[in-house]
Amino acid sequence: MDHTLLGRLAAELSGRERPAIVVLDEFDRVTAPEIADQLAFVLHHAGRGLRTVLVTRTEPVLPLHRYRAEGTLTEVRDAELAFTDEEAATLLARHGLRLPGGAVGALVARTRGWAAGLRLCALAAQQSGDPETYLKEFEAGHSTIADFLLTEVLGRQPARTRDLLLRVSVLDRFCPDLANELSGRRDAGAILAELHRANAFVEHLGRDWYGLHPLFADILGAHLRARLPGLESELHRRAARWLRHSGLLPAALAHGAAAGDWEFTARALVDDLAIGQFFTGLRSDDLGELFSRMAPDVTGPEADLVRAARELSRGAPGRAGPHLERARRALDREGRGRAAARLSCALLDALSARLTGAPGRAEHAAARAREIQQDIAPGLLDRHPELTVLLQAHLGSARLWAGRFDDSRSALCAAAAGSEGVQTALPREESLSQLALIDYLNGWAGRAERGALAALADAERFGLSESWGSGLGRLVLAAVAVERDELDKAQALLERATAEQPVPPDPVTAAARLIARARLQLARGRTRDAVETAESIVPSVAASPWAEDHTALVISAAHLAEGRPETAVKVVQHPACHRAACAVAAARAHLAAGHPEAALDLLDGLPAEEDTGPAVTVRAMLVRAEAADRTGDHGTARRLVDRALLDAGHDRLKGPFVESGPWVRRLLGTDPVHGPGQDPPSAHRARATGAEPCALPARTPIVEELTGRERDVLRRLAQLMSTEEIAADLFVSVNTVKTHLKNAYRKLGVNRRGEAVRRARERGLL
Amino acid sequence: MRYEIRVDGDMSETLAKAFPELEHVRMSGQTVLFGPVVDEAHLYGLLARCQSLGLRVLEMRRVPE
Repeated sequence: MDHTLLGRLAAELSGRERPAIVVLDEFDRVTAPEIADQLAFVLHHAGRGLRTVLVTRTEPVLPLHRYRAEGTLTEVRDAELAFTDEEAATLLARHGLRLPGGAVGALVARTRGWAAGLRLCALAAQQSGDPETYLKEFEAGHSTIADFLLTEVLGRQPARTRDLLLRVSVLDRFCPDLANELSGRRDAGAILAELHRANAFVEHLGRDWYGLHPLFADILGAHLRARLPGLESELHRRAARWLRHSGLLPAALAHGAAAGDWEFTARALVDDLAIGQFFTGLRSDDLGELFSRMAPDVTGPEADLVRAARELSRGAPGRAGPHLERARRALDREGRGRAAARLSCALLDALSARLTGAPGRAEHAAARAREIQQDIAPGLLDRHPELTVLLQAHLGSARLWAGRFDDSRSALCAAAAGSEGVQTALPREESLSQLALIDYLNGWAGRAERGALAALADAERFGLSESWGSGLGRLVLAAVAVERDELDKAQALLERATAEQPVPPDPVTAAARLIARARLQLARGRTRDAVETAESIVPSVAASPWAEDHTALVISAAHLAEGRPETAVKVVQHPACHRAACAVAAARAHLAAGHPEAALDLLDGLPAEEDTGPAVTVRAMLVRAEAADRTGDHGTARRLVDRALLDAGHDRLKGPFVESGPWVRRLLGTDPVHGPGQDPPSAHRARATGAEPCALPARTPIVEELTGRERDVLRRLAQLMSTEEIAADLFVSVNTVKTHLKNAYRKLGVNRRGEAVRRARERGLL
Repeated sequence: MRYEIRVDGDMSETLAKAFPELEHVRMSGQTVLFGPVVDEAHLYGLLARCQSLGLRVLEMRRVPE
């Protein structure tokens, strides 16, 4: 889980007047060490706001020694749990057994006060004719306690009860109907109620459901295998069918798998239209794990669909292809039957098309899905809103790849507006990120940033921070940061996105990553690297016009930076380059080559109605301004730059001005409006529109103010806290702390911790 | 890896079926389970199985091949 979310949770808890109490039962099932780490983090930072009760059979991997030293830990261990003589006597009395003190003591010694053992003892003794003699025998015996007792107790039950108990031992929970199904009887209800009344084996879980005491379940399982060999998988099979019929899908799948009945299990999943759960986070790991055991010789379209879904969910459309093809052919032979399977097939097809960058196939699959939806049983689609949302998201992504932004937007908006809830959170968030990418590609940096942040916030709300869409969201933020000349921030975002998703899941994300990285490398002056990045190949069936345009733009900018304006023009005048951004880049190159008329012609030829944002229009204006400046028309140049500043202010676009080179600075620096008594219009207007003034990069050695956050970090540094500790204390990531430190070092003109603290103290900054 | 797990009490044949991958031998009120252990996960799995069957583990050791 994301650290910022944990930080917020802890902060929220620590502010509570009365502590929240959280009980985590069966904590021994948690085996991943990072979960214990995160729990320790929240416990530490929530302070008195959180009390946690862990019920576990193994010691959790938490810093228990520290909690003991602090006195914040209360342990209830074996010694406390064990029954004393008096307690044991009370327990036996409740079972109607009154024993002399010595006998109780001996029993406690034999069972070491183990509650379940004592209960079994009482039960066995109660049912034997002569309890006292029986217990004496038990004391003297040598068998393992549970084994002896259970064999005894079970042996004393009537045959029908024994049989029922053995059969239900394959289930975690059961109701009378299900028990009847497994035992072929009709009176399971009465038997279970009786066993529960006698406080034997069976626990009541509420309503009509019962469960076996876990200890008994394991031993009963061993008895089942010994007495009725071969029956176990048959019982699983029957249970699976009953559960499926009753609409309890997860349990039906688990038992179908335990029975090794894969045809049934795959069909249960597909017929329930639940195949989308492979892609919606929560259940996807469970499903993947469950079906990983499916044997390769299982046939049928449903089994092939499940195999394809597994491969697709692991980002391997190539390996999914043959399975999908086989399923499609088998289903085509079926005609109009098996609607759920056909719809699942269309969904997987759309996803596969999206992952391989094949927009035509995605359209085709989506159209087929719309047709099939009419054949689906009513209500089924309502129970699986994720299916429709996933379809729209895949279609939108494929259209985005094809450069059909408006069509893409309508599909993505439909996905993002899909029914709320955790099932649909992932595809909705993904769609928001892709919408943000469209805004960025159209030059609307601010809008793109808002969209990407909304997507990330949505993901965080459901704890899905490392999902598909958030990778793309962060890439959009990185690209926007480059436009604003916030290069360190862009770098950090890029690194995080790459760390979370080493392999980009689809061509859209892959291309977005290349664009963000190449732009960053360009801005840092690493033109060779930028060209190499831009020329990397994104594997896909169909080419993407915008991805190609952006490759050309980067290469052109690199040529320009290295003083080859003629080549720069040629690269972006390729006939495939039809975007406004390309024309602007070509105009800039023309200008650099000394052809201002050609540059202006190109800009004049731009269609006015196109949906281009300030990242493009500001650049166009700067080209015009530079052209005017060259011809000596400084007034016009100045006016154009002012307008560009104004338009850029909203989105804080500093990048285009930095790119334009020194003449802008010169122009602004020598301008008379900076003289005394006059209001600098750029600053004034920027303020008037409520945007930050777009400060130009004045790399002069003036001392910059430390920000509040940088000061926070320095203060903790002075307390000799490590980077990790500072991060934890401020609820931010380690990388963020490093960025703050780096900025603070730069501002203070130092490069070591000690120096930084000293210098900050000298200046009274701490 | 081969391991040997010694538990308290005489284990019945039925209960021993809960450890189909191991052999067992009973001696003076104790039962010794022994056999090959595939990896660490298997090892901890065996311990967990002992726990869930209410067995008291007295000793666990790796034996030479």
